[in-house]
Amino acid sequence: MNDTNEGLLSAPLTFNWTLSYRCNFSCSHCYSREEQAEELTTDRICLIVDILADKKVPFVNFGGGEPLIREDLFDIASYASSRGLNVSMNSNGWLIDADAAARLRQSGFQSVGISIDSAEARLHDDFRCMPGSWQRAVAALDHVRGAGIRLTMSSVISRINFRNFRDLIALARDHGVQTLYLHNFKCSGRGFKNREDLDLSPEEWKAFYVEALEVKNSLSDLTLSFDDPVIASLPGYDADPMVKGSSCGKLSLHLRPNGDITPCGFIPLVVGNILAQDFDDIWYNSPVLLKMRHKEAKGKCAGCAAYGDCLGGCTARAFATTGDFSQPDPHCWK
Amino acid sequence: MDENVRPARRSDIIWRHEARREQELLEAQERGEDISDRGTVILVAGGTMHQLNLLGGEIWRRCDGNTTVARIVSDLAGEYDVDPAEIDRDVREFIEDLNQRGWISYE
Repeated sequence: MNDTNEGLLSAPLTFNWTLSYRCNFSCSHCYSREEQAEELTTDRICLIVDILADKKVPFVNFGGGEPLIREDLFDIASYASSRGLNVSMNSNGWLIDADAAARLRQSGFQSVGISIDSAEARLHDDFRCMPGSWQRAVAALDHVRGAGIRLTMSSVISRINFRNFRDLIALARDHGVQTLYLHNFKCSGRGFKNREDLDLSPEEWKAFYVEALEVKNSLSDLTLSFDDPVIASLPGYDADPMVKGSSCGKLSLHLRPNGDITPCGFIPLVVGNILAQDFDDIWYNSPVLLKMRHKEAKGKCAGCAAYGDCLGGCTARAFATTGDFSQPDPHCWK
Repeated sequence: MDENVRPARRSDIIWRHEARREQELLEAQERGEDISDRGTVILVAGGTMHQLNLLGGEIWRRCDGNTTVARIVSDLAGEYDVDPAEIDRDVREFIEDLNQRGWISYE
């Protein structure tokens, strides 16, 4: 048995799957807007579903691009559900009316997340470069809930909303959201180009997380979720994660529209193609994945007492800004 | 707990047996390492991920609604070189804990 993979799961628990990079929006922070890849036919996509089912991957989350741009999304989801996968997606909500929500339910979607970045319509619409998008996203929240699907909301924390995140919580509560994901800003794609305007300073990130963790621990009717390893050393963070540091490449992987696998949507390094190569070989032996799973403390991480918990923070951010997985997360305030 | 009770996993709980990890743990156990907090079954309940250790995983996998508590105890007593009374107590406590969490029901 290869010792370098000791403790590694037999497959990811989640595949984040970009079926298409096409989107009806053009958001300021989008990681994928300028990406291009050939899209697979429905049949080829179903072959991938078969592989994931055989590997007992329990969760598939469709992202994008906008997943509903693909007209066969409902068929793909139905097939994935029939193979025992738990299917969810993130959408900008524009294409979700009552009929679409009912079809999502019929297709087996267990959970649908709507992206809303501000409780103020004008700010959201400006950020998403799409007039009227806030109104339709909020309407989509109600349609999804009305269809009886578990409802989540996703907000990317940036300069436009970090001081007013409590308003996002109020909005989520008003519309029956079960989990609100406050995503950390990633400097990938347009997010990299616009990071000076959108990203917070490390001190601002710290202040945000200290306050947000306090709020999270006081909520009983809404789950507030962050997935940012940089917070591991903060007071109030008492999670016992299955893995330390970034979960990408350990608990999750990302699929591109052509079947290429990357560690996550924000790391543009292809580790293999799921239709062309043996999945186990990619999972256990990819040099990129092995390197991500065995980071070494560099720069200010060397000697830092928190390193054992955060493992250098978000690997995607470190890679985007330095080209090195093992450099410190630029959001780190230590 | 009646020994003829058949614990049944809740159908909406998502779980996966990690055979490779289990093999690693068995080897670590042979070397005398403490493996009590290392998981062989990954389980997602209520949106939270949990790990069940070697014995917990063995019990969980047998909670199929067909296997009685008595059978689970006798199976595991045959596998583990420990006092049968201790296995009996551990199995019953663990199953009761699963029941308290709402992860199984009694058939």
